[in-house]
Amino acid sequence: MQLNFAAREVAIKLVYYGPALSGKTTNLKALHELTKADSRGRLMTLETKDDRTLFFDMLPLVFKAETEGGAMNLRVKVFTVPGQVVHASTRRLVLQGADAVAFIADSQVAETENNAASFLDLRTNLKELGRSMRDVPLVIQFNKRDLPGVRTDAELDELARRGKEPVFKASAVHGQGVMESFFGLLERAWRKLDAEHDLRSKLGIQPDEFLAKAASSLGYEGKARMLCDAHVGGARSGKAGA
Amino acid sequence: MSDIPPASQDVVGDQPIALEDVVDRDALDDLCKSIHALFGIGVRVYASQGALLANVANELELCRYINEVPGSRAACGATVSAAKSVAPGDDGEVTHPCFTGLAYHIVSLVHEGRRVGRIVLGPYAPAGLREPPPSLAETDKRLDVVQASELAAKVPRVKQEALQRIAGHLKETLELIIFSSHKAWVTSKLHLYSVRESYRELQDKTTRLEQTLTRLKEVDRLKSNFLATMSHELRTPLTSIIGYSEMLAEGIAGELAPEQQEYVRTIHAKGEQLLRLIMGLLDLSKLESGTMSLRQAPAQIGPVLNEVITTLAPVARKKDVELAIDSDGVPCELAADAERLRQVFINLVDNAVKFTPKGGKVTVRARVTEGPALSGGGDDDDDSAGAVLLAPLLKQVEIRVSDTGIGIPAAERAKVFEAFYQVDSSSTREYGGTGLGLSIVKRIVDAHGGQVSVEGNEPNGTVFVVTLPSAQTRRAALPSRVPPALA
Repeated sequence: MQLNFAAREVAIKLVYYGPALSGKTTNLKALHELTKADSRGRLMTLETKDDRTLFFDMLPLVFKAETEGGAMNLRVKVFTVPGQVVHASTRRLVLQGADAVAFIADSQVAETENNAASFLDLRTNLKELGRSMRDVPLVIQFNKRDLPGVRTDAELDELARRGKEPVFKASAVHGQGVMESFFGLLERAWRKLDAEHDLRSKLGIQPDEFLAKAASSLGYEGKARMLCDAHVGGARSGKAGA
Repeated sequence: MSDIPPASQDVVGDQPIALEDVVDRDALDDLCKSIHALFGIGVRVYASQGALLANVANELELCRYINEVPGSRAACGATVSAAKSVAPGDDGEVTHPCFTGLAYHIVSLVHEGRRVGRIVLGPYAPAGLREPPPSLAETDKRLDVVQASELAAKVPRVKQEALQRIAGHLKETLELIIFSSHKAWVTSKLHLYSVRESYRELQDKTTRLEQTLTRLKEVDRLKSNFLATMSHELRTPLTSIIGYSEMLAEGIAGELAPEQQEYVRTIHAKGEQLLRLIMGLLDLSKLESGTMSLRQAPAQIGPVLNEVITTLAPVARKKDVELAIDSDGVPCELAADAERLRQVFINLVDNAVKFTPKGGKVTVRARVTEGPALSGGGDDDDDSAGAVLLAPLLKQVEIRVSDTGIGIPAAERAKVFEAFYQVDSSSTREYGGTGLGLSIVKRIVDAHGGQVSVEGNEPNGTVFVVTLPSAQTRRAALPSRVPPALA
């Protein structure tokens, strides 16, 4: 997070991580489609001609929020990492300074191992950057729910109950579950930052209020709570700072 | 922990960009010129800190006249600097009036939600302008208002909405350029940092590998030492076994029955065999640990080979294998240990005879050739350069020991020089041997700066090729082709 008190500006960095071809870029494209034009910037994608992400994709979301302490600029930059194994160093570079990570898993049963390998890669890279899974808020999205050969909802629910991270189900190509995952991630990122930097007294905004404003700026007036809660599992960690 | 350069944070962080850094000024100038050519309105682009990046405008006659009058010139300067700094409001767009009745239109350039600069269009005459306002006359008493009004009337009128369309279009175009340039900047920076990061990882790995190699070399040295010590220790009791069995066989301790005689001779023969094996091991370990001293002296290959043939001729005759030599005058002086070279060729020729069936033929052929640096391998251009200077120094002797035996499959050829390696390693193998001979051969040849390799012999059999550099070549110490890691 970059906090500029003078400009009352907060910049948050969210990173979408996951194995190759799990739909990270698709998530970002959908996010771009599904948000209000005046709050989103241009989607920067660095793709090769065969549609594989070479470096990363980045979508800036910028909006103002009126708070007790005055107007505040909020800048959220959402990044994806390149999933292919060879881009290890790029993944690490993109990951640095992330305020929260959404892990985009492929729901297909055949991809189980790739999901796990990528997750371990995430853990290794965070460690290399001197951080740990514990201090980076994480949500998990099981994408491609529309495909055949995927884990059933019941299986996912059962798995989610055993883990501590909230699990969102999505079909990013159809825009389903994209906003839910994003808001779930934004909420966890903000609550963590609020707890660490006491943003509620510094900026005069409560986490729920922040989320409500973010939702309305992006075109989801009054839907923040509903979107954030559209997950399974994640109960064990509770809601930090709530 | 990775020591990623902090600067790389800027690339994937949220640092504001500087318009000067991402936009090519000449390209920007060209763009502004084309807008100016199209609409006849002056275009200026400023970065957020006020730096002028592009300025394309023809001075209007009105402006030229005003600038001739000191008071009016001052007012004009004030207007221009106000247009440069006036806040464009929440919409990012504002019209700034000039005291002449003309106006400037100012539009913010926005990148990722931040204002990074502004476009100033003008001065232009708003569509509704008829007369210059009183503010014009107020700037300087000397100003001729009638003349100024006439000049103001010449300035083309522009409708506000048309102007806004032009401004909007230019803004969109410029923002696209800023986005693309920023994207290119991010790509190249990130590429650079990725390469650096990969390089760092590789370096770490190389360091770890080097440490492992050092450790392995040390272990290898210990192993060779151990082998040397053990061989020595094994030899001592064996000498007694051989000596006493020999004395028994000779009847020194009394006449033996034929059966006893046979047993004792077997003990003696096996003892000798074991001794050879141990000596071989000792040689190998000495060669490996580099403690075998080569007494290098001027030597010719001819006499060495003749001696080898003489030694092995009886063996070949017994097996009914023809043994031929072709080494007439190989006029090349070697710096070599003749005793060790004899060991090499005894080994090779003995092997050749061993693996050649009855009626077969073993040939030893020696000739002088040019070194590998001239005869191929590697980059042709590089190798042929300076041949006239280098050729005399690159003489070498090539000795080919060929047989018509069972041959060695191509895939096995590189391995035969490894210690204890046998092509046929089954317990029922037809041919005996310790598997040490060739590895000793290779190490001796290596110690002489030479090379040994295996080729197939048509239609069947094997050719062992030994090349030994001339004494002159070795003295000249031409760069070795052996990679340092293997040296």
